[in-house]
Amino acid sequence: MTIPALVLSLLLGFSGFAALALSLDRHHRAVFRTPMRGKRVGGLRAVGWAGLALSFAAAVASAGWSFGPVQWIGSLTGSALAVVALIAYRPTWLRAAALAALPLAALDLPLALLR
Amino acid sequence: MSRSKSVRQSMAWLHTWSGLVVGWVLFAIFVTGTASYYRPEISSWMRPELSEAVSDPVAAATSAGAFLRKTMPDAMGWSVRPPNAENPAVEVYWWQSPGGPFHHALLDPSTGERSKVRDSRGGDFLYRFHFELNLPPIWGRWIVSACAMVLLIALVTGIVTHRRIFADFFTFRRDRSAQRGWLDAHNVVGVLALPFHLMIVYTGLVTLSSMLMPWPVLTAYQGNGLRYYAEAGLMIAGRPPAGRPGTALPLGEIVARAIAATGQTPEVVMVSGPGDAAATVTAYFEEPPGLAHLHPQIAYDAATGAEIGRIGEAGAATRTGAVMVGLHEAHFAAAPLRLLFFLCGLMGAATVATGLVLWTVARAPKGADPDGFGLRLVRVLNLGTIAGLPAGLGAYLLANRLLPVDLDGRAEWEVRGFFAAWILAAIASALYPRARAWPLALIVPAFAFLAIPGVDALTVGEVRFLGFDAAMAGLGLLLAVGARLTARPRQNRTRAILHRAAEA
Amino acid sequence: MSADAVRARVHPALACRLAIAARVLLAILGGYMIAALASGWLALVLPGPRAEAVSTATLASFAIMAAAVIWVFAARSLGRAALVMGVVAALLSTGLWLAGAFQGGSAA
Repeated sequence: MTIPALVLSLLLGFSGFAALALSLDRHHRAVFRTPMRGKRVGGLRAVGWAGLALSFAAAVASAGWSFGPVQWIGSLTGSALAVVALIAYRPTWLRAAALAALPLAALDLPLALLR
Repeated sequence: MSRSKSVRQSMAWLHTWSGLVVGWVLFAIFVTGTASYYRPEISSWMRPELSEAVSDPVAAATSAGAFLRKTMPDAMGWSVRPPNAENPAVEVYWWQSPGGPFHHALLDPSTGERSKVRDSRGGDFLYRFHFELNLPPIWGRWIVSACAMVLLIALVTGIVTHRRIFADFFTFRRDRSAQRGWLDAHNVVGVLALPFHLMIVYTGLVTLSSMLMPWPVLTAYQGNGLRYYAEAGLMIAGRPPAGRPGTALPLGEIVARAIAATGQTPEVVMVSGPGDAAATVTAYFEEPPGLAHLHPQIAYDAATGAEIGRIGEAGAATRTGAVMVGLHEAHFAAAPLRLLFFLCGLMGAATVATGLVLWTVARAPKGADPDGFGLRLVRVLNLGTIAGLPAGLGAYLLANRLLPVDLDGRAEWEVRGFFAAWILAAIASALYPRARAWPLALIVPAFAFLAIPGVDALTVGEVRFLGFDAAMAGLGLLLAVGARLTARPRQNRTRAILHRAAEA
Repeated sequence: MSADAVRARVHPALACRLAIAARVLLAILGGYMIAALASGWLALVLPGPRAEAVSTATLASFAIMAAAVIWVFAARSLGRAALVMGVVAALLSTGLWLAGAFQGGSAA
């Protein structure tokens, strides 16, 4: 349960939650200032759930089956809180932050899996 | 349809009122419990004289045994915690009856006498306040448990009441009406940490279950709790006293055997009937890595040092209960995960606080109607608890640094400082003008926490406390941000009106 | 009396307040009694080792109490809530008696 492992869960969870938030019309409007087009919803949801699933996989791979889920649930709370704060205070940053989190996660991956 | 609507209405009613009646106590339970995740850190900060050097546990146990034999040879039990990296002093307890009182001392491992360290209850005060509220233990525990049960009900009814959990998952409309903002804030901190909230309240009840629900042990074991613990694999079955005096080996000898048997220093050793010929020493070891709160144990004959028994294997249900207790205490959590537990604990406190404030905001009379007595009472209690308790915590830590080191009954004075500051802050916040009450009430504890690093630097000034001091400064900044946020409702309101005008 | 709680806020009449007080009492005392009886009974009748049954019953007891309390407040009327709680308590007591809990010392 190292810091890089937790950061990896947080980053993936953050991107996932950001995509899920953008799949909701209210937040989509706040971020892009345009209404949602029909097709995007499915894509964003799929990306969102994939992010959460990857976050779970990262937590279990780095912390094992007993601590992993606990760490995953805790990190979901943290990353969702970050998404809510961005939408409320800096909505226009959300997309860039969610996209930036993915390469950071990729950089963090080897550190996280080094136990 | 009207039936389900009326059920939802009664659930909303139950959520509102159950949350209100226990809210203030719950807030204090959440805050002190969250602080208890850092109990060892708080304790070592509050006892700066203790060095971090770890001394020999065998010699320390022997000298602690000698101290206890001198202090209470005919005790019913002794408990000795040998020094380790987290707690460099030897902590001993001794008691004459199972109901206490439990006498306590910190011993210097090199001399075996009472440590010269400043007298302080450290993080233990916050830890015990979390489930005993500084009341007589039985009373405190029942009150805290009742509040926990009400919280469990408030959580379930809150979920039923909140119809759009997923649609509103990320919604925090801070620029609409005050009521909308508080409701969104309450929903966000409540929902995002919901797994934690449900876990912490249920596992909290489980930690006190032997007191709260003795009935299964009563029916299945005729109330013989010790037999249940032994059969369940939670404790080693004790043996009856021989009724004649005996001579025990030095306690360090037993600790040495325990280390030889397992390769691990026991976390605690307990001696039952220390003066008796059948005295038993039980060594409790650290929990093995895992979620469950199950301490491996080995019992030794105090006179011969022979191993009497080891703890049995716990079954699935008992293990589940132990995992629940483990999750509640989070001893297993290394620093990063502990930080997340801490964050979730703060969100629990914030859920209670926003709920309490929401109650008053939703009931504020429109126009020029006067505020009712109930509304004013709740407002004053909200200010006094939500802003008063942090002031007390700041004062508790500051008192530790500012009171004379050799003051008589120093530990009690620190606790008095905690309550005095809390009460004063609460009274003052009731007198502030209403429009500025929240920023004024929050800036007081903010300054108290921001003062901690400076006061520490002037009085103790050790590099190893830099992290703790930085954390206190961070909490101070958080409180200052809270003061700033609550200072701007008027701006928000104008913006909300503009917003609505633009939408219309 | 489907929404006596809500009505009480609109017309704070004495009858409504009494009805609420009665529900609160029924929820606290009845809820705890149901949880106590149910956990005591489960500890005797659950299969597996005795200690495991006791652990399971203890862990479940708080969920049982919470469910009972919520049910008291969700019930259509106070009378119905009291009736159902009474019937459940009687059934559980009978179950305890059948499981031998009242035969002093010889249980299990």
